[in-house]
Amino acid sequence: MSAVAQLEERASVRPVRPRDAIVRYSGIRTWGPFLVVLVLWALISAAGIFPSAFFSSPAEVWERALSLVERGILPAYVGDSLIRLAVGAAWGLVIGILLGFVIGLSARARKFCWPALLFFQAIGDIAWLPILIVWFGFSLTSVTIVIVYTVCFPLIISIVAAIDAIPANMLRAAGSLGASRLQRIVLVVVPAALPGLSSGIRTGLGYGWRALIAAEIIIGTSGVGFMMFDARRQGDVTQVFVGMIVLGALWYATDALLLAPFEKATVERWGMVEGIGR
Amino acid sequence: MTMTATDVARVAGESPLRGGARSRAVDAAWFASPFVLMALLWVVIVPAAGVSSRVFPSLPAVAQTFGAMLLDGSLWTHVSASLLRVLIGAAIAIAIGIPFGILMGVSKAVSAFFAPLLRFSVALAGIAWIPLATLWFGYGDLAVIFVVFNAVFFAIVYNTMLGVRQVPTNVLRAARSLGAKPWTMFWQVHLPGAAPSIATGLRVGMGFAWRGLIAAEIIATSAGMGYSLFLARQYYETDVIILMMILIGILWLVMDRLILAPVEWRTVKRWGASREVGI
Amino acid sequence: MNVLEIEHLTQSYVDAYTGDRTLAIGDVSFTVPQGQFVSLLGPSGCGKTTVLNIVAGFVESTGGRVLVEGAPVAGPGPDRGVVFQDFALFPWLTVRQNIVFGLRMQGAGKEERERRAEEMLALVGLDGFGSKYPHELSGGMRQRTGVARVLATNPTMMLMDEPFASIDAQTRRVLQQEVLQIWDSQRPTVLFVTHDVDEAIFMADRVIVLSARPSTVQADIAVPFERPRTWREIQADPRFAELRTELMTMLGVEDL
Ligand SMILES: Nc1ncnc2c1ncn2[C@@H]1O[C@H](COP(=O)(O)OP(=O)(O)O)[C@@H](O)[C@H]1O
Ligand SMILES: [Mg+2]
Repeated sequence: MSAVAQLEERASVRPVRPRDAIVRYSGIRTWGPFLVVLVLWALISAAGIFPSAFFSSPAEVWERALSLVERGILPAYVGDSLIRLAVGAAWGLVIGILLGFVIGLSARARKFCWPALLFFQAIGDIAWLPILIVWFGFSLTSVTIVIVYTVCFPLIISIVAAIDAIPANMLRAAGSLGASRLQRIVLVVVPAALPGLSSGIRTGLGYGWRALIAAEIIIGTSGVGFMMFDARRQGDVTQVFVGMIVLGALWYATDALLLAPFEKATVERWGMVEGIGR
Repeated sequence: MTMTATDVARVAGESPLRGGARSRAVDAAWFASPFVLMALLWVVIVPAAGVSSRVFPSLPAVAQTFGAMLLDGSLWTHVSASLLRVLIGAAIAIAIGIPFGILMGVSKAVSAFFAPLLRFSVALAGIAWIPLATLWFGYGDLAVIFVVFNAVFFAIVYNTMLGVRQVPTNVLRAARSLGAKPWTMFWQVHLPGAAPSIATGLRVGMGFAWRGLIAAEIIATSAGMGYSLFLARQYYETDVIILMMILIGILWLVMDRLILAPVEWRTVKRWGASREVGI
Repeated sequence: MNVLEIEHLTQSYVDAYTGDRTLAIGDVSFTVPQGQFVSLLGPSGCGKTTVLNIVAGFVESTGGRVLVEGAPVAGPGPDRGVVFQDFALFPWLTVRQNIVFGLRMQGAGKEERERRAEEMLALVGLDGFGSKYPHELSGGMRQRTGVARVLATNPTMMLMDEPFASIDAQTRRVLQQEVLQIWDSQRPTVLFVTHDVDEAIFMADRVIVLSARPSTVQADIAVPFERPRTWREIQADPRFAELRTELMTMLGVEDL
């Protein structure tokens, strides 16, 4: 190794301060604020600032959550919601990724599809619900189509944007090293589009999740959305709180168990994005 | 293996020699073609296949309904109700969200506390609040405005914070060493520096808000585009449903173009700041 | 034998918004014999990158002929390796995988690739860094990876577009010497684009000066120094100062 390489190597290593490490890795940073909010929440409800019909205490919410779990309602509903989301998202991913790459790679496909694509994405998922109900009734099909629709568009748009953002010199480098068009697509375009793909999946699932809740409220036979709205009809604020916390926790889990590890292993490892997460 | 130069240009997105008026006309034709094709299919296929108007309306029927609703004023009632709710909710969210986001971006302590809460809230914002909003505010305008507000608010705060953090340290130092007071820093440094990111946040937030609006109107009101959409479903008035869907799409595009895109365009193009494309 | 022949090259660009046509390259002709290291020097915006891109096959010229080993250029190919100012390494590949990318495209076996990777890593002074990703390296190390990636396939020509422009001044000096040493081991024909007069002289056997836009060849000057070269020797040579003054005057820099 040359002397310069050694010098440069030394310069690129950043010292880690112990205090930073504690804050970063102990989880205090992430969970501390939630603890504070929990305490505030308990204090506010104990002080009786809001009428109890509008605002439950943490203890009430916890008890209700436990009893919903014991009676098997919560697990069943969560399961229903997750399966609907998974089925819709899976179809949405397949269609969205395929269309994203086709539209991103072919100038002609892009010219033809782009305005129509923007228009259909503008209509928005929820607005499709009434006509879907007319066509397919209050059924799983209607829900699935809405979610597929929702997941697709952000995915397509961010894949196309990511393909557009590939530095021209990267493609040129591959070409001048002898890569054919197919090789450039597989070996350069696909990995280079991964940051866009992962942010598209994040956005798509975010929208899909909301669409599911709306669909469950409106179509309403089971699921977390249904549980919340059913509780709302009976003026049961505690159960609405339970629903919201479950929704938040599920989103966190999806992010922490599926999306974040994928990004850590790929685009973050390669230094293509900073450690983000929305 | 080698390839031709045009092949290269296509992949690298380079157009060696094009431009001018002819290509603008060609672009317009490309833009219109999918819509013309869809309209043609609609006009030809729906009558040919003998589809019942309870399943899918004919194009003339939708046009007729559009005229009728325009004349009897019901169209305006629904559209204005929806737009007013979006406007109020978004305005409040922007007015509170931007200063709060800048505070979070400037202060490490504030952002360390709020950032995890915010990530949680952005994920929940909008539709998930409908049950709680209708409990707190009853069925009606207030609940819908609240849903719009919180959809926009969390996205704006979060993105403003990110934007402020992205202002280069040396720009901050330069401004301070030139004697900028906190107030000046806010108006002259943090706000313009974060503008591209704020615009992104606004678009994301409005995306959630627009969907939240439709859902909330379906559930909680007796006027608005979402309401009329869902009411029509009850009577299988597919012409009204399709009309409303088209209007919702067009209004969103107009809103996105007229209000949000120029903000983004001005800030990004003029200062040459980088931009995250997409929704 | 001339590896590169450029005859009456012209290039005009059409502005995408206004539709105006601007002539970037007026009329450029020169030839480069086998194994020569040629610097292409000129003021910013005169079309140096454009010439290089045309030779590389990235851009089609609007007039004139470019022949590489007697054949007209039709698109990029592994006979002309390109070293970019912004490195253009693949961030999802390790240094080793980046270096053997070209061999992989040629269908070289795994063993050969591994052997070649180690050779190249040693040659550019990066042994021990093969498993790192590009973002974990300093600018100088990235550019050495860029050079190794090109030389791994033994190309006829190496095209370099201001390869040291995004590297700090100290590292740049060291790298210039190192790249010359590396080049010496294979002696490919090099077209080296730069706007830095000192660098142009230090690196090359010959400096071709382009005029401002629309560019033509303003001068074609032989560099008399022996190789191997070091900055210490070259700087002390009175001919260096003369050459430098001559080129500076040509570029219209009047500080001397
Ligand atoms: N793709 C392009 N479209 C339009 N004009 C271009 C393009 N590429 C280069 N030019 C113009 O051609 C001229 C030469 O550019 P370039 O070759 O990059 O110069 P240099 O590398 O010498 O600085 C510049 O005036 C530049 O604006
Ligand atoms: Mg250049």
